Amino acid sequence: MTTKATTSALELPDLDAGDVYRADLVFYDVDHSGPSYEGRVFVDHPDADEDTPRDADHGYAGSYTVFGHNGCYGDEGHCLPDSMFRDEFDRRLPHPLTAWTKTVIATDAIRRVVADPAVTAVTVTVVAVVPEDDVAQGTGDVLRFGSVRLLTYQDESLADGDGED
Amino acid sequence: MSTGTPTASSSSTPLRFRRNVARLSAGQLDNLRQAFARVYAISDNRGYAYHAGIHGLPLPIGCDNAHGTPYFLPWHRAYLYFFERALRDQVPRAMLAWWDWRTRAGRPGRIPAAFADQRVGAQPNPLLSGDVDPLALRQGGNSVAARTVRHPGGRLAPPLPSAREVREVLAIRDFQSFTAALEGLHDRVHMWVGGHMGQIPYAAFDPIFWAHHAMVDRVWRLWQLAHAGARPPAAILDEALPPFRMTVRQTLSVTALGYDYAVSSASTPARPA
Repeated sequence: MTTKATTSALELPDLDAGDVYRADLVFYDVDHSGPSYEGRVFVDHPDADEDTPRDADHGYAGSYTVFGHNGCYGDEGHCLPDSMFRDEFDRRLPHPLTAWTKTVIATDAIRRVVADPAVTAVTVTVVAVVPEDDVAQGTGDVLRFGSVRLLTYQDESLADGDGED
Repeated sequence: MSTGTPTASSSSTPLRFRRNVARLSAGQLDNLRQAFARVYAISDNRGYAYHAGIHGLPLPIGCDNAHGTPYFLPWHRAYLYFFERALRDQVPRAMLAWWDWRTRAGRPGRIPAAFADQRVGAQPNPLLSGDVDPLALRQGGNSVAARTVRHPGGRLAPPLPSAREVREVLAIRDFQSFTAALEGLHDRVHMWVGGHMGQIPYAAFDPIFWAHHAMVDRVWRLWQLAHAGARPPAAILDEALPPFRMTVRQTLSVTALGYDYAVSSASTPARPA
């Protein structure tokens, strides 16, 4: 079972490829109530699917994994994080299905696109691959996340500086 | 990273060692198998179903916040600690063993023979599979087999972590990044094994779960040795790890919990003078 999602265009930083010390693609509000899956992440390759080679030519950036709950168990409301009344005196831990944040270190993939001055923005495609198994997998959407952020870092010791001094 | 370096213990009770499952002596492996066989036969809170069920089903006890959070490593260290105590209640010399799932060139991943053999002599191998608690089956809608199965390396499963990937994770310096990266490698092992191991609610019913998590715990131990003083965020150190009577801080020292990691061990009585 494979599902995929492609984001709107993400603006690239105004940096030379050599100045990108590290780049992260951070996925927020990742749902983990469904089956376990590997989220394969491709930059500027919206046609990617489970058979797409995971290499530079196809924009492969890396992957994250979700060890899933594979469905909801319990009575009505048991799996709804927002169903808990919370205030500043609540010492309980967060709801077990509180969405996760997943980070993919995508330095090489971002350096590759930054190196092309004609490219100023890229899409990010996540292909959620569920291993084939004869154990029943839960129903519903496998891949759900709220947003993606591209974070780039520059090694200041290598930068030319902006003329402060 | 072939071994952990044990620290001195001031306790008069010697530390016990979790060893590489591939290097267990016949006696050590027999102790482990006997302990599993005995906890399988117990239906109360000393038994296998109780401990395995803590990881997911049956409700109401669950592994709340044990995944995808900074509690991942401390919670599972506590989990293994209490399960190992339950094993040793039955066979005092039994210790959990770790499955070194790292792959290298020319050494593809496989389930260790101790957990893959169908039989031990004339008896079924208790480390091959375990029964799923019938209540867990019912709560899960009877969607899985009543006895655990595996499909190692199935189509579309991610690969087992390589030795290089583990080295890279060990080189990370801050706890938050380290635990997230190690949990990602851990997820891949669950998915690579497949079957019940691939799903949180049932994973711990497969006996290999404990050997997998002993390896994860060992990698944390090695990271602690390599990065002295690095620890989980201060804000969670005194948080409890339900349902265990233990805080995050109390999990930080494996030697304080009475164990450490070794590749193998051998001992002999002192010679009489």
